[in-house]
Amino acid sequence: MIKEVIMPKLGETMEEGYLVAWRKKEGERVEKGEVLFEVMSDKTNFEVESLHDGYLRKKIYEPSDEPIPVITPIGYISDTPDEPLPEKTTKPAEKKPPETPPSSETTKGEKASDTSAPSERIKASPLAKKMAEEAGIDIALVTGSGPEGRIEKKDVLGYLEKRGRTPHPNLLPKGARETEGYAVQEWTPFRKIIAKRLTESKKEIPHYYLQGRFLADEVVKLKKLKKEQNVELTYTDFLVFIGARAIKEYPLINAALVEEEIRVYSAVDIGLAVSIEQGLIVPVLRDCDKKDIVSLSNERREIIEKARSNKLSEEELKNARFVISNLGMYGVENFQPVINMPGVAIMGVGKLGKEPVVIDDRLEVHFVMNVSFSFDHRIIDGAYAGLFYKRFKEMFENPALLAFY
Amino acid sequence: MREITYREALNEALREEMDRDPNVFLLGEDIAIYGGAYGVTAGLWKKYGDERVLDTPISENAIVGVALGAALTGMRPVAEIMYIDFIGLCLEQLNNQVAKIRYMFGGKCTVPFTLRTEGGAGRTLGAHHSQSLESWLIHIPGIKVVMPSTPYDAKGLLKSSIRENNPVVFIEHKMLYNTRGGVPEEEYTLPIGTADIKREGRDVTLVTYSRMTLFCQEAAAVLEKEGISVEIVDMRTLLPMDIETIVNSVKKTNRVIIVEEDCKTGGTGAEISAQITENAFDYLDAPVVRVAGADVPMPKSPVLEKLAVPDTERICKAVRDMVRL
Repeated sequence: MIKEVIMPKLGETMEEGYLVAWRKKEGERVEKGEVLFEVMSDKTNFEVESLHDGYLRKKIYEPSDEPIPVITPIGYISDTPDEPLPEKTTKPAEKKPPETPPSSETTKGEKASDTSAPSERIKASPLAKKMAEEAGIDIALVTGSGPEGRIEKKDVLGYLEKRGRTPHPNLLPKGARETEGYAVQEWTPFRKIIAKRLTESKKEIPHYYLQGRFLADEVVKLKKLKKEQNVELTYTDFLVFIGARAIKEYPLINAALVEEEIRVYSAVDIGLAVSIEQGLIVPVLRDCDKKDIVSLSNERREIIEKARSNKLSEEELKNARFVISNLGMYGVENFQPVINMPGVAIMGVGKLGKEPVVIDDRLEVHFVMNVSFSFDHRIIDGAYAGLFYKRFKEMFENPALLAFY
Repeated sequence: MREITYREALNEALREEMDRDPNVFLLGEDIAIYGGAYGVTAGLWKKYGDERVLDTPISENAIVGVALGAALTGMRPVAEIMYIDFIGLCLEQLNNQVAKIRYMFGGKCTVPFTLRTEGGAGRTLGAHHSQSLESWLIHIPGIKVVMPSTPYDAKGLLKSSIRENNPVVFIEHKMLYNTRGGVPEEEYTLPIGTADIKREGRDVTLVTYSRMTLFCQEAAAVLEKEGISVEIVDMRTLLPMDIETIVNSVKKTNRVIIVEEDCKTGGTGAEISAQITENAFDYLDAPVVRVAGADVPMPKSPVLEKLAVPDTERICKAVRDMVRL
């Protein structure tokens, strides 16, 4: 029997994914639960396990930087190695990369999609193969000009140029761009996803912003006390812990707009904007309202470490609702973060320091944290946001309250 | 900088090291009164006398054995084997004793031993006096094999070889003795085990050593006019091999041709090629190519001798074939 291998939907907002690598060759045996291919979506690579025992009978797609819509069949698994395939086993026509050479030019273009002929070995130099892999292109689409049609470095560069895509700067012939006064940095699929998601957010969501100041004397004091007990907490830990409790009272903050529904979740899962080498990523802390601050702090440390070493699982990335983005350590006073869809609110944390504050007509010096929030006006109106802000501020400034409510 | 010949550079190196260290002495066939078959030791017997410049009987095995004994007892012998073609006669001493004795005695002795010899074709001396047998020697762990191409490298490396506490086989080339090059007046040495980029380029790397370096330089000059930029890595030392310099060059040019005078089959180039594949596979844009000596006994006929070893034109052709501009 033939079973389809599909591009999985790995999160509620995932619409398409990138096939990063096949882990099996055509004709190779695969067991249920074995890793069959790798997909990139929502900024992370996931290993996808086979759902069936059998043979990888046919790959419909090869790894590339063309996004593939979710649930598209990308290959077939069969019970026996030579089972006949269903008739239509190629990519849909419109998905064929436009640069496939016309059939008159060479047979190479056909090689990639021709299903009937046994797949002929493509001759390419090791360097050309590596370059194609790094640029995320299918080497079969490149026409070789070397001896016996071998694909060489210049062929890959020529292909990339023709396609108008910028190769990795290391792959450019030396000095190619130097005279023009700039270097070209690769627009990685990772960065493209960031670009797409953030552009979509700014386009779709009518953002508005609140900003204010939290008095932080109590939190500073608590942090110090905990440190004396050898418990290292960060201000982010306090914000997650206290914020979760404020959100519990204002559940709309914890909503998401998915498929024309305002879904209000009971679990308070808070995302943290983390900067890693490849770009921005948002790992999620679960059930923040139910955990004590030390557990949250430990989880936070663990998850950020995983993010930095690129080891986050799909589970740890999905369903961020309220997100905290902290730039305070850079001395930033205030900023207006972009909402992480499908969430409806995000908090921007600025610097914490001593500032003059007027209290009972007296000028006093207090620890102050500069904060701002962005909300989705489609879901949350200003008054609701204001109440949430007020409650959050109250709890933050008087953490003792948390023990008595 | 003053220019002197390769022969003079070697002679200077010997003189300076003999002046520097009274334990340095020379032995070999016809090296004293006659000054060496190729004149490298000219004038040294006169200056340093019978005790330090010894003419030996025609017994290569004895030369190497005596030198080893002297090295073990604290001297720094520099032995000369007139033609590398006779190295087979010394291999028992060289392979089983010289190369292994320090190891087998747990490092209790040092072997400050230098064996100078010369090889290569070019003088139509026939099958017994024209061979390039360095690949036999790089198969012996425990010795170092040095093959300089210029007067500058020859002097600096011979001095280092004499000061080295492990055995070194120093292979000259009969066609290089009269070549000239800049050599500073002041004292210097060069490290054993480092290759030298003799010319920087972008399109293809020629990995070579000894006399072939000169042909590669001529070829590079011809090819430059055709718009092909050639990088030349002169190995200088074959063992230990400076694979790092070679790999760095391959990363830059992505194409490599090994130019060697020895017979292609089982030659030095085979080892270099294997190491390039092991260390720089992903940077290769073309298969590694060898331009090497023919697998034949060296012909006596000048016409055939020329055909049996690589020359500038063959190198140019190999580069053009590979680069195909």
